[in-house]
Amino acid sequence: MQMFLRLPKLYKSVIEDVINEVRELFLDEGVDEQVLLELKTLWENKLLQSKAVEGFHTEEQAALQAAQQQQQQHQVQQVQQVQQVQQQVQQVHQVQQVNQPAQAQQVILPPQQQQAPQQQVIVQDSKILQHMSATGMSAAATAATLALPTGVTPYQQLITSQGQILQVVRAANGAQYIIQPQQQILVQQQMQPGSVQAPVIQQVLAPMQGGLSQQGVIIQPQQIVLASGNKVQGNPQLMQAAALAQQPGQAATAQVQQVQQVQQVQGSAAPQVPAQTQAQQPPMILQADGAGDTSSEDDQDDEEEEYGEDEEEEKDKDGGEDGQVEEEPLNSSDDVSDEEDQELFDTENVVVCQYDKIHRSKNKWKFHLKDGIMNLNGRDYVFSKAIGDAEW
Amino acid sequence: MAYQLYRNTTLGNSLQESLDELIQTQQITPQLALQVLLQFDKAINMALANRVRNRVNFRGSLNTYRFCDNVWTFVLNDVEFREVTDLVKVDKVKIVACDGKSESTQNKNDKW
Repeated sequence: MQMFLRLPKLYKSVIEDVINEVRELFLDEGVDEQVLLELKTLWENKLLQSKAVEGFHTEEQAALQAAQQQQQQHQVQQVQQVQQVQQQVQQVHQVQQVNQPAQAQQVILPPQQQQAPQQQVIVQDSKILQHMSATGMSAAATAATLALPTGVTPYQQLITSQGQILQVVRAANGAQYIIQPQQQILVQQQMQPGSVQAPVIQQVLAPMQGGLSQQGVIIQPQQIVLASGNKVQGNPQLMQAAALAQQPGQAATAQVQQVQQVQQVQGSAAPQVPAQTQAQQPPMILQADGAGDTSSEDDQDDEEEEYGEDEEEEKDKDGGEDGQVEEEPLNSSDDVSDEEDQELFDTENVVVCQYDKIHRSKNKWKFHLKDGIMNLNGRDYVFSKAIGDAEW
Repeated sequence: MAYQLYRNTTLGNSLQESLDELIQTQQITPQLALQVLLQFDKAINMALANRVRNRVNFRGSLNTYRFCDNVWTFVLNDVEFREVTDLVKVDKVKIVACDGKSESTQNKNDKW
C-alpha cells in the first residue's frame, strides 16, 4: 500500500505550503490570521470527511474528534428512540451492504433532529450510521420520506417526520440519490401488514431509470401502489413529496398528476396511473391487469388525458411505437445510452494528470502519463508515472 | 502559470469549498480566494513533480477518447490499476490529461 501511506503526508505538505504562501496575501488584504487558520481547518476537515485519504490527523482533527464524541452522546438518545421504532426490521443487512460501499456521506435525521445543524449530523454519521442502517427503515417511517425537502441544495439533509432513514448519496457531479433498496420495501410490507400506508409510499431507485432527472429525490409512488396492492392513503404526502422532490418541472407536474390520479382511483386497481406515469418512468409498471390502460383513461379528467397524450406523443417519436399504452412500460428498452446513467454514480473514478505520449495503432492505444491524482472507488492515489494499454 | 487541472480533485475541491464558505461569510474576498487557488495550483504541481515517485500500470478497454485544446479525455471500462504492491479495479474511469511537455507555456484556462 505504498500509495496509501504517502498520501496523507503529501497532502499535508501541500496544505502547509499553500497556507504559508498565502499568509502574505492574506495580510496584504488585511485579512486576519484567524481566517487563514479557519481556512486550513475547513480544508483539513473536508479532506477527513471525504474519506479519500486515510490517517489524516492533525491537532485540529484531534480536537474535532473530541467535539464529535461529545455530540455523539447527545445523539445516542435520539438514536435509541429511532432504534426502538425500527427494531422490527431486521433484514436491513442488505441496506448496510448497499450503503457502506457508498462513498458519499450519509445523513440520518431522527425526527427530533430536524433543527439540528447539518454539520452535526454529518459528523456523527459514521458512527451512528452503523446503528441506523442496521435497523433500517421502518414501514411507518417510510411514509415520512414524502415530507422530504428538495434533495438538492442541502444535499445531505433529509428531514423526515417519522425518523425515516434515508441515505442521500451525492454523486460526483452533484446529483443526488436516495438509496433504498426495493427489496426492503416489499419485505417490510410483509412484516408489517398493519401499516400498509407507509411501505406503500416508500420508494427508491438509485439512478433514475428512463433518463429522467439526475437530481433530486426520486420517489415513485406507482411502484408503491403496486407493491402494496390497493391502498394508497398517503396521497397528500405523496403529492408533497413528488412536488418537492422532482427537479424538472415537467416531471414534478407529472408526478403530482400521477398522484392525483391515484387519489381518484383509490378504490379500483391502479392501472390507469401508469398511463401518464409510464410516459416518464417506464419501469414503473403500475398495472394490475396488464393492458387495461386505455379503458381506464376515460375515467380521468380531460386535462390529465391531454397531458398524458402529449407525453405519449413524445414517447412515440422516440420509440415509434403504435401501441402507446401497452408499449410504454417497455420503452425503457429504447434507451440505448445506458452507460450515461452510470455517470451518475456517487464516485466517478477520475484521473487528472498530464500526458507524455499517447499512441495508437489501429485500435490499440498506449498511454504514457505522469504526475497524476486518481480517485478510484472513493480513494485517492497519486502517481508520478503511469503507463496503460487499452483497446478501443 | 501552473495547470489548474488539479482543482477537481479531493484536495482541490475541498479547498474550493472551504474558500466558498469563507466568501459566503464574507471573511475573504473572491479575489483573495482566486489567489489562493492559484497558489494551490503551483503547490500541487510542484508537489506532484517533486515529491511523488511511484509508477502505476493500468489496462482496460477504451470506451471513448477526445482530444481538444490539447487536452486528452478518455473513458475506460473494466480497468485494472496496478502498482507494485496492490491492485485496484474499476468498472469505469475517466482520465483527463493535459500536455505534459510544454507546461510552462500553456495555461489550461487561457481565454482567447
